[in-house]
Amino acid sequence: MQNDSRSQKIVDIIQAYARRHSLWILAYGTGCGAIEIPSTMTSRYDAERLGVRGAATPRQADVLLITGYLTVKTLKRVIRVYEQMQSPKYVIGFGSCAINGGMYWDSYNTIKMLDQYIPVDVYISGCMPRPEAVLSGFGKLQDLIKAGVADGPKRYEENFDWYRANQKKIIKNWNFADYNW
Amino acid sequence: MDKGKRFDTIRARIKENFVLSQDKIYADKNRLDISVSKQRTPAILFFCKEQLGFIHLMHVGIVDWIEDGTLELVFMLWSPTEKLRVYIRTRLNRENPVMENMDMIWPQLNTYEREFKEMYGIDFKGLIAAEEFLLEDWDGPPPMLRDFDTEAYAQEVFHTRPGREDAQDVREAIIKRSQEEIPDFAKKYSRQ
Repeated sequence: MQNDSRSQKIVDIIQAYARRHSLWILAYGTGCGAIEIPSTMTSRYDAERLGVRGAATPRQADVLLITGYLTVKTLKRVIRVYEQMQSPKYVIGFGSCAINGGMYWDSYNTIKMLDQYIPVDVYISGCMPRPEAVLSGFGKLQDLIKAGVADGPKRYEENFDWYRANQKKIIKNWNFADYNW
Repeated sequence: MDKGKRFDTIRARIKENFVLSQDKIYADKNRLDISVSKQRTPAILFFCKEQLGFIHLMHVGIVDWIEDGTLELVFMLWSPTEKLRVYIRTRLNRENPVMENMDMIWPQLNTYEREFKEMYGIDFKGLIAAEEFLLEDWDGPPPMLRDFDTEAYAQEVFHTRPGREDAQDVREAIIKRSQEEIPDFAKKYSRQ
């Protein structure tokens, strides 16, 4: 197929259709929010009918689900996991702790704004969000994919220095591998 | 034999061997509190475990007495045969908290000591453990000490999302809206 703009548009539509109906999630259950995932996945709410299901490893996953608060220690692992995931990849921040620190707003070891460190596509508010809210968040993510604006990896790549500077500001002992982008 | 008598016996046996700075029986709470110097602490823990049957270390607590300039360690022991508790308290200098390693008495003390080292800066001489336990990449002062201002630290280090500046007390906001009055017992918790 010729790589002209019209045919590319058709490819984009098909890609977005396929992507938004197979969101495989990697649940990073650091906080209390992980307890809402089983009820979202099991028979009553049955997220799998929307194409949402669990993935075993970062490389197989499309969505990184950050359920709850992140400490400096766990943020390190999240960054590593995020960088291991293959594009296209999306991040959902889950619960008020990921949004603004929640009840840990004055903690010495808990980050307060997840989007300063990795690009976040959708935030789900609540403490904790009920499965309905989680499904609504996934619906929102599907809409963003359809509209073509869920471009986290692109933002991460373009603003890589800014993200890295923020990450290095709180992770003092930096011993990550340097990736080639 | 009733509880008070059993406690008296235990106290007498401890007093034969150790000089106690303070001791008190709380028979209703099923416990005997004794305070000893830091040098005698390992010996008295050994004595309680080997001779008196307090074989179970329930918990180790720590209190930061900033007014007295001391850190108080509380070793909470339980005897499964006697069904009694003994709390052994000892105080360390807050400026330079040093203590011997005691994880040969109960191996689980190792975990407590690692945590105290990180969170309160207590130096356990001879402790064999990894450098980092709960806090990674931490180069500030021990964060659980009372003079550590956690809010100021968080404001300085982490990005804060705007929008919480006008956060209101939920109870007061609701009461204001519904034209009620705060009851007297709740007034002392008021933010205004």
